[in-house]
Amino acid sequence: MMADIGELSIRNAGKIYDPEGIHLVALEDVSLEIKASEFCVVVGPSGCGKTTLLNAIAGFDQLTGGEILMDGKLLASPGKKLLPGPDRMVVFQHGALFPWKTVMWNVTCGPLKQGSMNLHTATEKARELLVRVGLHGIEDNFPEGLSGGQKRRVEIIRALMNDPKVLLLDEPFRALDALTKSVVQEHLLELFDFSPKTIFFITHDLEEAIFLADRVAVMTTRPGMIKKIVAVDIPRPRDYRVLTSNRFLELKAELGEAIHEEAKKAFEAGERELA
Amino acid sequence: MMTSQAQPEKNSGKSVGAVRELSLSYRFVRWLKSLWSLNLLLGALSLGTILFIWEFAGPLGIPAIKDVPPPSSVIAAAMDLLVSEQYWTGWGLSFQRIGIGFLIAQMIGIPLGLIMAINRFSFGTIFPVIEILRPIPPVAWIPISIVFWPTREQSVVFIVFLGAFWIVLLNTIGGASQIDRRFKRAALSLGSTPKDLFWKIILPATIPSIVIGMAVGMGISWEMVVASEMIAGDTGLGYLLWQSFQIGAIAHVIVCMISIGIAGYFSSALIRALGGFATPWRRLH
Repeated sequence: MMADIGELSIRNAGKIYDPEGIHLVALEDVSLEIKASEFCVVVGPSGCGKTTLLNAIAGFDQLTGGEILMDGKLLASPGKKLLPGPDRMVVFQHGALFPWKTVMWNVTCGPLKQGSMNLHTATEKARELLVRVGLHGIEDNFPEGLSGGQKRRVEIIRALMNDPKVLLLDEPFRALDALTKSVVQEHLLELFDFSPKTIFFITHDLEEAIFLADRVAVMTTRPGMIKKIVAVDIPRPRDYRVLTSNRFLELKAELGEAIHEEAKKAFEAGERELA
Repeated sequence: MMTSQAQPEKNSGKSVGAVRELSLSYRFVRWLKSLWSLNLLLGALSLGTILFIWEFAGPLGIPAIKDVPPPSSVIAAAMDLLVSEQYWTGWGLSFQRIGIGFLIAQMIGIPLGLIMAINRFSFGTIFPVIEILRPIPPVAWIPISIVFWPTREQSVVFIVFLGAFWIVLLNTIGGASQIDRRFKRAALSLGSTPKDLFWKIILPATIPSIVIGMAVGMGISWEMVVASEMIAGDTGLGYLLWQSFQIGAIAHVIVCMISIGIAGYFSSALIRALGGFATPWRRLH
């Protein structure tokens, strides 16, 4: 087990878009401590600021309040220079494999660029990880030739190849059908059990959240705040049978209520904005 | 059914995502078969009908078409032209003018478009100028370019250049500024420098738009070379067409028209081949 690498500390994080103009409060006073090698899932209604928070951690966007630290090092605070880097790899909502490069190029480009592996080691390592998630013989294909589930797995492998301290996943399985989703989820858990990393995972699928997480944090509708944090005490390794266990259903009921409230608020706010 | 592993996907091994290689002879037979189709028959039928009507329009007294030389005299004119030196040097010179003008348009248009897409300052400076000059049809530039350029040859090349330039410039700007930011963000996370961003992300992501700009630009280039050879040239397919018209050799005019059509077709095929070569990841579509 890796000891205290990838500890995330989100303190009173706030984000206001266009403060002079429409003043849209996306995040307000979000505080969340994520332990090293913890699988933390954030659920919340659409537009609640989940992605805003992820972008701030990844170094894609600035905060307007509070701060985010990783292993005691300041990552983000108002006015701080954006610092994206291989220590925090992102798996994007709509996928961001480079379509003009082969799977192998995509997967190995990070470590090769950073000089942390040579071509031979990187290729070997990539093959090994791809096989682990049930992909081989696709190394020389272009991403467009792959299925949705294959693309997601390749993208997760691309992120892991950089040996990040934190893995950030933004609704990665949203576009997958239910069967593919369950397979890819199990692959992700297998990777996580094999080499635990701090994972910050966004979704609005509650079952997915409970199935994957050590802790589930529920966010409120805009302005986004942490409403509730629930520890998922279902032992690992987990498989699909967990989905029908009593404990799973209890947790689902507990979290479901909180989320439903927020979803309703978000819906009503949407109606108001349209009216 | 699902025992913590995805059995079906794991077992399928090599066939995952791989396309089976087809033998050359099989592909040839398939190609032959594809030729003999209903579409081919229909195409031949409609083309035959048109040629028939055209040929006998005179005797039949069909208005408008009856004054056009029939296919038989067009073929006779073609035989006449195909052995003349002027015709083949015309091909050569028109292609040469297209080649030079089009190439210069790409060499200036593509880098300029990329710079304008990346750099807001250069966009703000250059774009207004472009938006004023662009709507002027390249043909309207012919008199000025005759005055401006020392030789007729250069004027023609300049008009061809204009025909291809605007479209490739706009396509490059459009393509490069519409790249989804998640690609840039992913690249930054992976450790890219600004130089990597340009060469590994922005340039390849823009190539499909550039290829479209080139294909359209090639079409406009042919329009321009013919128009400017008619007005300002003393050689080339466009000039030959105009000269034939002026001496009343209408059958020769038609041969020139068809020749220009064929030349344009080959130019487009060349661009398509280049485009396919430059974007291997899109060949599946």
